Amino acid sequence: MTGALRAEWTKARSLPSTGWLLLGLAVAMVGIGLAATGSLRVDECGEGACTLDTVKLSLGGVRLAQVAAAVLGVLLVTADYATGTIVPTLAAVPRRWRVVVAKVAVVGAGVGGAAVAGVVGALLAARAVLPRRGFTAARGYAATTVVHDLTQRAAVGTVLYLVLVAVLGAGLGLVIRDTGVAVTVVLALLLVAPVLAMVVGDPVWQTRIHRFAPADAGLAVQATRGLATLPIAPWAGLALLAAYALAALAAGAWMLQARDATT
Amino acid sequence: MQPSLEVRDVTKAYRGTVAVDRLSFQVRPGEVTGFVGPNGAGKSTTMRLLLGLDAPDGGDALVNGERYARLDRPLTHVGALLDADAVHPSRRARDHLLWLARSNRLPDARVGEVLDQVGLASVGRKRVGGFSLGMRQRLGIAAALLGDPPVVMFDEPTNGLDPDGIVWIRELVRTLASQGRVVLVSSHLMRELQDTADRLVVIGRGRLVADTTVDDLLGTVSRDQVEVVTPHRSEATTVLANAGARVTIAGGDGVVVEGLPGDRVAALLGTAGIAFTELRRYRASLEEAYMALTRDAVEFAAAEEDGR
Repeated sequence: MTGALRAEWTKARSLPSTGWLLLGLAVAMVGIGLAATGSLRVDECGEGACTLDTVKLSLGGVRLAQVAAAVLGVLLVTADYATGTIVPTLAAVPRRWRVVVAKVAVVGAGVGGAAVAGVVGALLAARAVLPRRGFTAARGYAATTVVHDLTQRAAVGTVLYLVLVAVLGAGLGLVIRDTGVAVTVVLALLLVAPVLAMVVGDPVWQTRIHRFAPADAGLAVQATRGLATLPIAPWAGLALLAAYALAALAAGAWMLQARDATT
Repeated sequence: MQPSLEVRDVTKAYRGTVAVDRLSFQVRPGEVTGFVGPNGAGKSTTMRLLLGLDAPDGGDALVNGERYARLDRPLTHVGALLDADAVHPSRRARDHLLWLARSNRLPDARVGEVLDQVGLASVGRKRVGGFSLGMRQRLGIAAALLGDPPVVMFDEPTNGLDPDGIVWIRELVRTLASQGRVVLVSSHLMRELQDTADRLVVIGRGRLVADTTVDDLLGTVSRDQVEVVTPHRSEATTVLANAGARVTIAGGDGVVVEGLPGDRVAALLGTAGIAFTELRRYRASLEEAYMALTRDAVEFAAAEEDGR
């Protein structure tokens, strides 16, 4: 098993696309977060007490970062099929479940590391920017800090969210094997909810969509205010995303085991 | 235990098309075994089954007496070159070998050694996308040699190689066999194996056509044939045909006589007063032998096509 792990780690590291996608993930987290918090003004927040969830806003880059995570998860699998490298991969590690475990571990470690950097960066940026936009303790906004329970949950949850999205990508990659199709499917799964919720007028159905769509459910974990109005509980939502990801991975692992290497 | 490759009664179909049909053969150590058949005969499929990449519908494909999937650190048992293009173009040659080495817990130093061995040491840090087909073949062979395996399997290794490369592969293959390894080399061209192989496994349409030594195969096809070189070909043909022989015109001033022993041919020509400059046992080329063997398989194929 160590052999398979080191092999997949070496494979991932030796492709230039891996580093760029991980860098892109972290930059998207910090950059979008900065754009969100930097453009806020507390006195434009609305009448009475401001209820903006600044933590969620500062972690809003996850919407873009998830694209990098999903594509990386898909590519780590489908690049082997697209280039034929799956043949030496399975010849070198014929116990195929080891290949699956190794790939998931590598993509999890890579995306996890970049996500930690991105989340910490985004929160630090928010901490620096928000007081200058008027979000002070006097207005009900203490300085952003991960010591705060809910902020901590949002931070850890965002990292886990990105890792799970990458695992979902890897699982779909194993099932679909084609880069273009797999990327399309995983992004459609992640982005379909807002589109659907926009065109479906019925509020009951809108709530259902937000509750069961993988991205919306998974991102409930970012909420630090207005928890009563969430369509799904924070950890439950992340668990639902995990269920999607593991289902895709299990299907992929089973197909890798059952099918011939390339047909 | 002696290294071995063995295929036992193996059958494999892809979406209803039979690729390998009850095929059995064994490859022995210490000699080069050529694996020959027309394109689409099932050579690559057989190798994929031996490597556990595809699962046979029936029968067993065994490496050193085991199914491939049961081998621990398989690269130390078998080295295979299947498809030289099965490399990510964005990866450096070194890195491609490095991940393979690590997958089987081989020391990283092996990478430099095999790069040297195949003559790619100077381009190890280049990305494979810029490699010629010949360089990728060499990289594939380097990958096969990483684990210093007692069994090696090369699928059409001379594809895309220049003449230097072809000579290099021949020498490499001979060396590997002389070290006591099991060596299986496939080709769709018999002449590529003429000077390299000791044994031949010939397949056509997924079935075994012949499993023999090169010498025996040439012997079977050339049996009872005598080649006569004479300036009087037509007279000679008449005389010999009248004596019951089958006579065919060969290259130069030669005729090939089938069905009469050499001394009888000499006597007949002498009696008739026909001068000849040479008379020798005719030795078919490997290519002719191969054509004779596979003719049936090809005719069968043509008949089946017509029947549709």
